[in-house]
Amino acid sequence: MKPEKRKYDKIVEMLRTSKPTLNSAEEIEREVIRRIENTSSMKSGLTEMLGFLFGWVYIGWVRRSLITASIVLVMIFVYQQGMILKRIDVISRQTIVSSRESEISPSNEIERILMNYRNPLRKFPSKNTTISEKQMQELLEYVKELQLKYKDLEDLIEGDPELKSMIERKLRDINNTKSNL
Amino acid sequence: MFFTLLLIKRLNNGIQSSILIDLKLIEECRGGNLNNFRKLIELTSPFAYSVAFRMLGDDDQAKDVVQEAMVTVWKKLNRIKTAEVYKTWIYRIVVNKCYDQMRKRKRNPEFVADGKTWEIISNKFSEGPSAALENGETTKIIALLTERLSAKQKVVFVLSDLEGMSNDEITEIAGISKSAVKANLYHARKNISEKIEKYLK
Repeated sequence: MKPEKRKYDKIVEMLRTSKPTLNSAEEIEREVIRRIENTSSMKSGLTEMLGFLFGWVYIGWVRRSLITASIVLVMIFVYQQGMILKRIDVISRQTIVSSRESEISPSNEIERILMNYRNPLRKFPSKNTTISEKQMQELLEYVKELQLKYKDLEDLIEGDPELKSMIERKLRDINNTKSNL
Repeated sequence: MFFTLLLIKRLNNGIQSSILIDLKLIEECRGGNLNNFRKLIELTSPFAYSVAFRMLGDDDQAKDVVQEAMVTVWKKLNRIKTAEVYKTWIYRIVVNKCYDQMRKRKRNPEFVADGKTWEIISNKFSEGPSAALENGETTKIIALLTERLSAKQKVVFVLSDLEGMSNDEITEIAGISKSAVKANLYHARKNISEKIEKYLK
């Protein structure tokens, strides 16, 4: 064993064997009990104050009245919640309709005018109410294109009797549904 | 059912320190029985004081720590489920209170070990291992040996080398990992050995 290790062990041993002696154990005990009793007396004071403030809730008829009142309040609350949910449901449906309307907003000026023409109740803000010559030409081109597409479609239907009979049947069904409505 | 558990049973080179605390006593204290709590204080305070005194080196401060620790024990006694846990728990409370005191002392340093302490050590050293130290001498020697140690190193040194606890126990009490315990203990021992070698011829 190294000499420094021996010295260390010897000193530590000396310290270990000399346990610090507590001379005033009773004093510590007294002080601890005093502090505990102080804390508990403070606690009991608080309990008394709480009893004075809220002790009336232990009176029988007060308690029963409070129970009844709380039940009534809960029922009112539930009814109110039901009403609110119903109202929210109605409002949310309205929102969906208006959002659908916004989806089919016109992409250009001509479409806007045509939509206004189709549905006079629908109003879109417009900067100018007149149609220029260029716009008129565009409109005519659209019409011409539409006519051509219509003619092609007519030829296609005429060329295929099966398709023709199916379309006629469909049109008849649609007419029937409309008349039923 | 009456549980009696041997709490501390440690053999330190022929010195046997044993403290008997049974779970029934703790349960009765839990029920608000102050007379039983007096008994618990009587059983607990000597070893709580020993740790506090060795760490703080001041009789009054060590007593304050023991008092505060016992008040904390009274308030939180509900947490104790077994008598075995009690020992570790009380040590942890004492060590934490000592940390607080050491922190306060760091702000207002008041204790300085003087050079005469080496004379005391030298005299006691020549007397042999049976030399007994008074509280004042213990204070001076520990303060001198540990003056350059950090709070953690000091705690680990006191618990391990002076109180004879295992590394596992220290880990639980000081709230640090096992490797940290080993490292702190190594540094503390090295520092103290160097000091002894330098001053004690």
